[in-house]
This record gives sequence, C-alpha cells and structure tokens, in this order.
Amino acid sequence: MTDYGHDLLFGAFVTPTAQDRQAVELAVTADRAGLDLVTFQDHPYQPTFLDTWTLMSYVAARTSRIRITGNVINLPLRPPAVLARAAASLDLLSGGRFELGIGAGAFWDPIVAMGGRRLTAGQSIEALAEGIGVIRDLWDTSARDRVQHDGTYYQVSGAKRGPKPAHDIGVWVGAYKPKMLALTGALGDGWLPSMDYLPDGVASLPGMNAHIDEAATEAGRSPAAVRRLMNFMRFDGSAERLADLALNHGISGFIFGGDDARSYERLAAEVAPEVRDIVKRSRS
Amino acid sequence: MAVEWGIALSLARHGRDELLALAERAEARGLDLIVLQDDDDDDDGQGLDPWTTAAWLAGRTRQIPIAIEHDPAAISEAMAAKAVESLGFLAGGRVLTSAPAGVQVRPASEIDRIQVTERDRTGRTAAVRAKRRAGIAYDDVPASLADATIEPGDPGFRGRRSTYMRGGSPGLILQPRTPDEVADALRFARRHPDLPLGLRSGGHGVSGRSTNDGGLVIDVSRMNDIEVLDEATRLVRIGPGATWKQVAAELDKYDWAIGSGDYGGVGVGGLATAGGIGFLSREHGLTIDSLVAVELVLADGTQIRADETLNQDLFWGVRGAGANFGVATAFEFQASEVHEVGWAQLTLVSPDLEQSLRQYGQVAREAPRDTTVFLIAGPPRQGQTVIQLYGVVDSPDPDVVVERLTPFAGTGLLAQQQVVLTRYAGIMAGAADVGPDGHHGRGEPMARSGFLPVLTDEFARDAAALLRTGKVFFFALRHMGGAIADTTREATAFSHRTPEFQVTAIGADRDGLDQVWDRLAGHFDGLYLSFETDPRPERLHDAFPPDVLARLRSLKQRYDPTHLFRDNFWVGENS
Repeated sequence: MTDYGHDLLFGAFVTPTAQDRQAVELAVTADRAGLDLVTFQDHPYQPTFLDTWTLMSYVAARTSRIRITGNVINLPLRPPAVLARAAASLDLLSGGRFELGIGAGAFWDPIVAMGGRRLTAGQSIEALAEGIGVIRDLWDTSARDRVQHDGTYYQVSGAKRGPKPAHDIGVWVGAYKPKMLALTGALGDGWLPSMDYLPDGVASLPGMNAHIDEAATEAGRSPAAVRRLMNFMRFDGSAERLADLALNHGISGFIFGGDDARSYERLAAEVAPEVRDIVKRSRS
Repeated sequence: MAVEWGIALSLARHGRDELLALAERAEARGLDLIVLQDDDDDDDGQGLDPWTTAAWLAGRTRQIPIAIEHDPAAISEAMAAKAVESLGFLAGGRVLTSAPAGVQVRPASEIDRIQVTERDRTGRTAAVRAKRRAGIAYDDVPASLADATIEPGDPGFRGRRSTYMRGGSPGLILQPRTPDEVADALRFARRHPDLPLGLRSGGHGVSGRSTNDGGLVIDVSRMNDIEVLDEATRLVRIGPGATWKQVAAELDKYDWAIGSGDYGGVGVGGLATAGGIGFLSREHGLTIDSLVAVELVLADGTQIRADETLNQDLFWGVRGAGANFGVATAFEFQASEVHEVGWAQLTLVSPDLEQSLRQYGQVAREAPRDTTVFLIAGPPRQGQTVIQLYGVVDSPDPDVVVERLTPFAGTGLLAQQQVVLTRYAGIMAGAADVGPDGHHGRGEPMARSGFLPVLTDEFARDAAALLRTGKVFFFALRHMGGAIADTTREATAFSHRTPEFQVTAIGADRDGLDQVWDRLAGHFDGLYLSFETDPRPERLHDAFPPDVLARLRSLKQRYDPTHLFRDNFWVGENS
C-alpha cells in the first residue's frame, strides 16, 4: 500500500497536431468539461506538430480554469534560461495555471536536426539536473543578485531574475531509468511517466516508487513531496483500476491520450467523481 | 493611403491585466497594430517573455496584428521558425516578429487620443504589406483577381504556401475561378518572366513543383466542378482543382470510375497532365487514356480546346507533358463502369527481401488485368523487411478476390491483412480531406523514379541492397502492364507503355539518395516525372525519349514560345 495523500488530478494528453485546430478544441473541451489538466507532448521536430510552447500559450488564452503542462518539455531544445522566463510568463498570463513537465530528451537525431546538441543518456540526465537548478534560480526573485551559473552544460552569466511566477510551478519529470528516478526524487515536484513505457506495467510501480522515495529521503525531502502522475495512451474508463493505482501505488494524476473529446467529457463527468469517491472513502 | 496606427505595450511595466485591457481597447478602437516592447528600463527583474505573451494575446484578440521586436527566443533558427509557423497556424499570421514599417506607433497612454480614420477595406494593412516579396507588382494585380489572391501576410497563406511534400514560400498565390481569370493571372505572370511560376491543383505532387520561393503560384483549386455531360457515353467534365476523392465520390452514384493514382487527395489537374498510374490502369489504362478532351489557357492568354480531332498535337502533348503548354481549366473524360471491387491491404514480413521481390515480380507478371497490387518497403530492421502490399481486384466475387490475392500473400510471411469488398470511391475516400488548413510539407522532397521493363533477379538483388543502405526510407513498386500498353507509344507524350513496374524511392538527403539510386540506372528505361525530383538535366531525357522530346520542343515553340512555363519538367529549346 502506497498512497502519498495528494488530491487527485485528471487530465488530457493531447497531440499537438497542426490540423483543424484540433489541439485547441480538445483543450477547450477539457477545460469546459472540468478536467484538471491539459498536457501536450513536445516533439517540435515532428513536421505535423505545432510548437508545444506556442500552443500552450495560445491555449492558456482560450481556457479559464484548467492547468496546463508540457508532457514533457524537451529540455535539449529549450534552453533553461529561456524556458524559465517563458514558464514564469505563462504562469502569470494564465493566472497560475502552468506546471512544468520536463524531460531529458530521447530522440537525438531529430533534436540535433532542430539545433539541439547530442548528449549521451547519462549526460542528458546531468544536463537536466543542471537545467532544473537554473530554472529555479531564475524564478527565485527573493534573492537580489543576478544569476550566475557556470555548469558543464549550461552557462548563465549575470541574468536578471524573474519574472516571478504566479504560483509555485511544479517541476514534473518524465523518468523511467534508475538515474532519472533518482533525479526525480531529489529534485522533482512530480513524476510523470507513461504506463505503456513502464517495463512491466503496473508491476514496475512499487520498485520505481521506491527508487524515487529513497532518493527523496536521501535529499532530505519527504517522498510525499513528489506527486506521482501517470499517462495512459488510451482511456478505458475503469474507475476501480484508477482507484487501485491511487490507493496502492500512490498515483494521484491520471492523464489520458486518445484525442477524443467525448471520452474527456466522460472522464470528467463520470469516472473522475467515482474514483475520487472510492479514494476518499478508503482514505478516511 | 490612410495612416495606420499602432500602440506600444511594455512587457516589463504593464502587468497581465493591463496588457489585456489595452490590447482589447486597441482592437475595439480599430487600431492596426500592437507592438510588444521588451523594454528593460527597470531594475526589478525581467518582463514577460515576448513570444509567450504574443501567443497569449493572439488567443485573446480577434484580428489586430501583434508585433514583437525580434524572433522568439530559441535554441536555433529552426526552433524559432517552428514557433512562428505554429502561431501563424493558430492565429492566422497576424503575429509579426518585427514591427512593420509605415505604421505610426504611439505609447499606450495615448491610446484614446489616436484618431483612427476609415481604411480602404480591400487594401492590405501595413502588417501584411511588410511581408511582401521583392520583384512582384502587387499593386497591379488584375482587378478580376483582387479578391482571389493570397499574399505571404494573409491569413490563408499558411495553408497554401507548401505542398504535400515541399515547404514553400511563394510571393503571391493567384486563385482564378474561370478561364478568363486564368488568362488574367497569366497576363500578370508574363509581367514577371524571371520569377518562378508554379501551377497548383491539389498540391499533392510528390515532386513538389507547385510551390516555390518568392515567385508566383497559379492555384486552380477553385475550379473544381464535376459535371456529367452525357450519361449514355459516360462523358464527364471535371475542373483541374477537384481531387480524385471528390471525382470518385461523384461518379460512384453512376457506378462509374476514372482510374486515378493510388491516393484520393491528389488533384485532377496534375495527374491528368502527367499520366496517372493507379489501381485500375491495368484494366482501363492510365488516367490520360480516359481523357477525351482538354481545355487550356495558353501562355499568351488564348483559350484553346484540344482533342483527337481539334489541335491533335496539343492533345498529344498535354497527355504526359501538360505543364509545359498551359493551364488546364477543364478535362473531359470517358469514365469506365466499375462496380464493387476487392480492396486489399496486406502486411508481410520478409527475412529475404530479394527473394520476396523476385516472387512478387513473378506473381504480378502473371496476374490478370483485373488485379493490380502495389508494393511498398522500407529499410530492413534486424534483418527483416516489412512489406506492404495494397491493391485492387476488380471483381465483386469474394472467391475471385481471394484467389487473385493468395499468390501475393505468399511472397513473405503474412503479418496482417485487411481485404474488403468496397467501391472505388471507398478506396479513394481513405485520403484525408485537405481543408483550408492545406498542406504543410517542409523542405525539399527527395524522390527518384524509374520505369522497370522487367523485374529481373538482378534488379531484386540490387533493390534489396538499395534498402540495406538505409538511404531510402520509402521504396515503392507500382504494378503496370495490361491495358496501359493497349494505347500505342505514339499516341501520347507519355510514351512508357510497356514497363512491368514504375519504381519510386524516397530518401532523406539528395546526395545520399542519388548515390545509391544511380547505381540502379541500368535496370531502368525512363522515369515517371510525377515522382522525380532530381534537378540534373539528364532526367529530362529519361522522362522523354529523343523523338518525343523533339516533338515536345517543337510544340513548345508553337504554344509557349516565351517559355513562361518552365518549372515542371521544362522541355527546353531545340538545340
């Protein structure tokens, strides 16, 4: 039994396709339906996709309540100093509705083709740890000095801090392998993997959670400081299964792909209340 | 021209709510521009990110152009361009990365003091004019086309600039609706003899010749009527801008079809002037073989009709090299009777592509005319090649369909199969609709083409080697033969009547593709111009054998003596 006690979030995993304004329409539907999150994958080298950052900024203007995040933002193509300022801006413009799902990058050929640099898996993890540090530094306007960062992967020399985000933006990390899970536990506010990519599906969760917990504890944090979210490629509508994941595996964010407006409406109207109800009764 | 007014908003000083209120006020007052200034005159920290703010404001306003002062902050030009292109899609091109010249920009505090004057509504704003290209007389577009042009700054540009496989950036797109307007568009084109001139129908062409950079495009997509002229003889008149999906759907009501290519999103004009190798070719001939008459506007604006008796030589030339002679404005076809057909999509896995190709060649060679099966393969993965076979058996009898397909299914290990009885229209309907959103190809397509007289063992060996290089990610064999050869070689400018297959390879980079493809040259006799992108001059001679080319050149001299049309397999001049 693992449950970190977070309130439950339900969301949509929307393909940022440049077709018929579908991505914007789905986000608006998810907002109206009452979902908590609308999230977008970030593969700007994919010719049929929109730039996820631009899309999220536009979607923020067209929605009023839903929280927005990249799922996950491709750090190798988005330098941390630029990303920090843009993220804080989007948080301010959206009224505190932005969270930063972020990843180390995976598809290096297209990343290089779009102007990123090729890193090994190990280097990309070190770069992510460094990048998160830079981003948090730039958000921290309580310090008055300018940001200096002379890292292996990122150099920032005398950048102004700010703008200050409207709320404490959560840094949610897409992670699977032990080193990334350790990074997530040490630095992340959330863990954001996809069920389809877990090596053994649900059976992987106890081990992966333990990895994160251990790293969090080692970093002097509570394991509960890291919210556990999960992407599902398809929506299957089973409230019992989701409640089981919440109560026994600590998952408190359920994000569904499929790009289908009706299933998002059903998720918000029927499934989410049922899962919340089961979890609430069981927790009390 | 009336004065245009803009206001400057500060990303550092105005907060979110104030920015929004000012932007809404500027739009309500009919101003022409908002400039987001990334000013840095305070020490309290950074202002809002310009690009994020511009995208957000674009989502909160309806039509006012919004300019930032530099490109979006990004790791590379490619990433910045992607951001700009994406917002163009979302907000219709009204977010600019530099403030256009000619707009009076005032501080936000003066927003209510600006006297906005009425503007000429047909004219374009300074923001749109700022994106015009050099060398085009925008102010002299013929009056008939004033409401039928798209400029780079116009909202519709994004969906029309590129084709299915090529990214483009023409300076002006003209969309004539009638032959007279085509003549006007050509008159305008004649004033710009040094600019590229693309002719676009569906914009699907793999060779990507219907867009360009900084030139003109005559886009005939609005001329898309489909009309039955005579039911008894199945005579149909079709505009060049219709797609084959639309044609198939219309003719289906009569139990008719005109064989087209294998994809319903292709436009009528491009295919019907080049050839048209498709699922019905082996039974009913190429698309051009169903053509009984064509109407064109020549380079000098003359409207002309060509068929077997009238302007015969032009009719010959249009059927295979049409882009050299004019803008087709209508085609008359004799449709074939086509009822239910078997439609198959088979996925095979082959541990030995060479062997599978040999076997496929043998089976395809022996297939009756009612059966047409195309093959697609990609590079091998872990020693296995995935082969897609897809095609038509023109029979409503499931037993016949299965009997015809069985030998094809045995050319590899069958991994997946879908075989249905359907209509030709049902097959063409598989193509995605291209709405106002248009095509979004990027870069240059890299495709090579060849006609294969016989699929020999040596070809199978070399083709398998070609795919092993990894330089080719798409390799296709189109099954020819049958009725294609019922028309004589001399009857049309498309003269490749007897190959067994048309072969296409698509790669990621030109040098890599050419290097491996050129090794196969000895197997081929000619090429199909619709799939060829190699700019080397020898390719013209592959497309048109010497006697055909000589005849085309003398026709060119007669019908397009100034060589206005030279962007799609230009036949050139007699040397």
